[in-house]
Amino acid sequence: MSVSKNIILFALLSVLLIVFMLAMQDLDVLYNSYGRDYYLLYGLEETGSRNLVSAIYLDYRLFDSLFEAGILLIAVSGIIWISKHDIEEKNAKFMIDKYKTPDLFVTFSRLVYPLMLTFGFYVIINGHLSPGGGFQGGAIVATAILILYYIDSERETNIGLIVTIEKYIFMTIIVLASISLFTRGTFFTNFMPLDASLQMKSIYLVLLNLLIGFKVALGLWTIFTAFLKEGR
Amino acid sequence: MDPILTFIVVLIGFYGLSTSSNIIKSVFMVTIIESGIILLFLNLGNYQGGSIPIFSEQVTSIVDPLPQALMITTIVIGSTVTAMALMLSIKVFHYYGSIEWKDVLGREELKL
Amino acid sequence: MIFIPVYLVIIPIFASLVIYIFKNKHMNYLALLAQAVVTVLAIVYYQHFSGNFEATMFVFGGWDDRIGISMSNDALSLSFVFLTVFTWWMVLLYTFDKGNTNHNFIFFLLFLEGVFFGILMTNDLFNMFVFLELAAILVTILIAFNKAGNSFRAGIYYLLVNTAGVLTFLIGIILIYFTFGTININVITNLMPLYGDELIIKFAYVLLMSGIAVKSALFPVFTWLPHAHGVAQSAISALLSGLIVKGGLYLFIRINQMYAAANYDYYAFFFVLGALTAIVGVMFALSQKDMKQILAYHTVSQIGIMMMGLSSQDVNVYYGGVLHIFNHALFKSLLFLGAGVIIKVYRTKKVNEIRGVFKTMPWVSIFMIVGMLSITGAPLFNGFISKSIIKYGIQDSGIKYWTLFIINIGTATSFIKMSQIFFGPQSLSYPMQRKLQNFALMSIAFGCIILGNFYIPINQGFFGIDLSYIHIFEFAKFFDYFLTLAIGYLFYYFIISKDKPPIPNIRNFSISFEASNIIFIALIVVMTIYFVLL
Repeated sequence: MSVSKNIILFALLSVLLIVFMLAMQDLDVLYNSYGRDYYLLYGLEETGSRNLVSAIYLDYRLFDSLFEAGILLIAVSGIIWISKHDIEEKNAKFMIDKYKTPDLFVTFSRLVYPLMLTFGFYVIINGHLSPGGGFQGGAIVATAILILYYIDSERETNIGLIVTIEKYIFMTIIVLASISLFTRGTFFTNFMPLDASLQMKSIYLVLLNLLIGFKVALGLWTIFTAFLKEGR
Repeated sequence: MDPILTFIVVLIGFYGLSTSSNIIKSVFMVTIIESGIILLFLNLGNYQGGSIPIFSEQVTSIVDPLPQALMITTIVIGSTVTAMALMLSIKVFHYYGSIEWKDVLGREELKL
Repeated sequence: MIFIPVYLVIIPIFASLVIYIFKNKHMNYLALLAQAVVTVLAIVYYQHFSGNFEATMFVFGGWDDRIGISMSNDALSLSFVFLTVFTWWMVLLYTFDKGNTNHNFIFFLLFLEGVFFGILMTNDLFNMFVFLELAAILVTILIAFNKAGNSFRAGIYYLLVNTAGVLTFLIGIILIYFTFGTININVITNLMPLYGDELIIKFAYVLLMSGIAVKSALFPVFTWLPHAHGVAQSAISALLSGLIVKGGLYLFIRINQMYAAANYDYYAFFFVLGALTAIVGVMFALSQKDMKQILAYHTVSQIGIMMMGLSSQDVNVYYGGVLHIFNHALFKSLLFLGAGVIIKVYRTKKVNEIRGVFKTMPWVSIFMIVGMLSITGAPLFNGFISKSIIKYGIQDSGIKYWTLFIINIGTATSFIKMSQIFFGPQSLSYPMQRKLQNFALMSIAFGCIILGNFYIPINQGFFGIDLSYIHIFEFAKFFDYFLTLAIGYLFYYFIISKDKPPIPNIRNFSISFEASNIIFIALIVVMTIYFVLL
């Protein structure tokens, strides 16, 4: 790494920084808060979700979320395909060495595991009322499941089954999101009518959050397992 | 935090991407760029201040919820890209015995 | 009827999931069924809405169009949809003929089709980003599908470079969102006269364009393309070179349409960039010995020609560029698929080791020759039409005309070099006739010839442009072509075939990953200085 290369690089990056600072000055005048005001005014009324972030990713921009779940699904299948060895191994042992995991850690893991799992489900189910949602809660649930590998390092996981279930869940999400075609005549929104009560609307929100949460949890679990196997 | 500071994080990522000779480091630099962008977007959403984007009757001004929703998507995308890239770099290491770009890219093709 | 774009996206994805779940050999044929349904839907959609493309816009959930995600179509996106359908038919037929088709492969392939439809039809910038990233990951998996060392290497190179590019695209989206308060492309297009001159929007343009430059492999940042397209399976190479890389050019057109009211003078800049891409691509192609590398570098150079067309103020030249995207998709996928058959039989990729292809497999050779004639711009074939339009439009400007002439000579030389594989005695026996593969190759070859001869009614019907000023049967055209071939042959005979000094140096010239990133940053800075500060 030569000095001249560094100088050139710094010069280039500082040009970008200066232009960005100028752009930020523009933003003082131009800042447009149309979206923000819209969500505050109509968000709850139209989607039935108090959490306006959930309102966006479960209703206004559900199409994005579908493919956000899809990208995870693709990554899971891709990583499994790439990491698959030519010889089928049964009962692959993981790199976690149970003799090196401290007993204290194992004991605390046993205590924390149910709490994390409960917290994860709480975040998923209350995603439309308080901070949280399917993606965030799913990540917590996945972490809880991964603690199991520390408690019992001899665990066997049937990855094939998990991946298949994940695919089914993804298909269910698409179907659930498209029911609105028959009830409201348009794709990818709440299937309850627009003037339904908040309780009725939250049926859809909770269902979708649950499905997304499961899907994310299963996906992250699979990715982690694939890496564990690779690290042996 | 200031949007400009977060943009500096992005630039640090680009600096690292153009100086690191190691595949794993490059992967992490892409992750740093990604994190910088996420912070930038959230910061700009908070540009004029406001409370958390959860509706209640007392709230009159909130931060923009759209950046937060979009950044969940970006975080998921970023994590999948990182996972994918790390798995590929493990495989590259198995085949070439090195994770230095110059060792990996300089090598002739091993087989068809 | 208005929701057909959603079906186009969802049906291939759903079919791919079913195929993945059942893991059954017979279930793979579901891919063909889904493909047939998609074809019918696309045709019905086109017939319903042709001439009335404003009506194709709809918002998911029926929300305010500044809030929800919307989709819309125009003649350009629909013609891309038909191109996508056609290319996927050919690739599917080609892969199905190989016998044991892997259900994983079909899964990723079909999913990619749905995602690509999404890129073409979406009307929302962030949605576009999601689809781009999804496509990048899918393409990475497809490149690395062989699980050989060099395919992993190409996969990670592709993934990191493209992710860096798409992330700059995302920064541009952020700046646009906070200025316009929306990321709906139609709304932004209408509001552009208000904000077009602001510095922040110009900077956003630069960031969007640099992301697109990586995606479409323009001059300084094309290094990922030969890596990726050279090592993937032949069917995937055909798909990538024929279609996926054109996604970048499609975005180039869309974003420039979005910025139309801002009146930036991007023409000269991207013309130069396109010309450099074309020349450098040809230079590298001439030095290569690996058949797929030659074809991959020619993709780079042809993208340069398309860019030269697209960055023109003259409407005719612009359509020349658009038309060249379609023509190139046909002949490049034909060449890659044909090369795949040849490589499979000869078990080598080296041009100077393969001999006697014409005697061994006459049909494949004929189709390959059609592809070569098209790419070199022979009259009666489709490459001629689009190249002539561009040439006709820029003939007043001396330097532009000669640049194109040099690129044509380089292309001719390179394919004269490649045609040496046809000569010589039969060295191998071709084990079996692949009917579906030959059918796929034949269909694309017919496509080349049809587009090369009946171009007036086709373009009149689809884009509504009159091409009757291009005549095929003129002595000058044939003279031009044979002159190019003759110069190309001399060039080949005296310089390339002797492997004179500059050629091995170019072949061994390689650029490190770090350096390619510095070049990328330099490109962003140059564009910033050109568009924002000047």
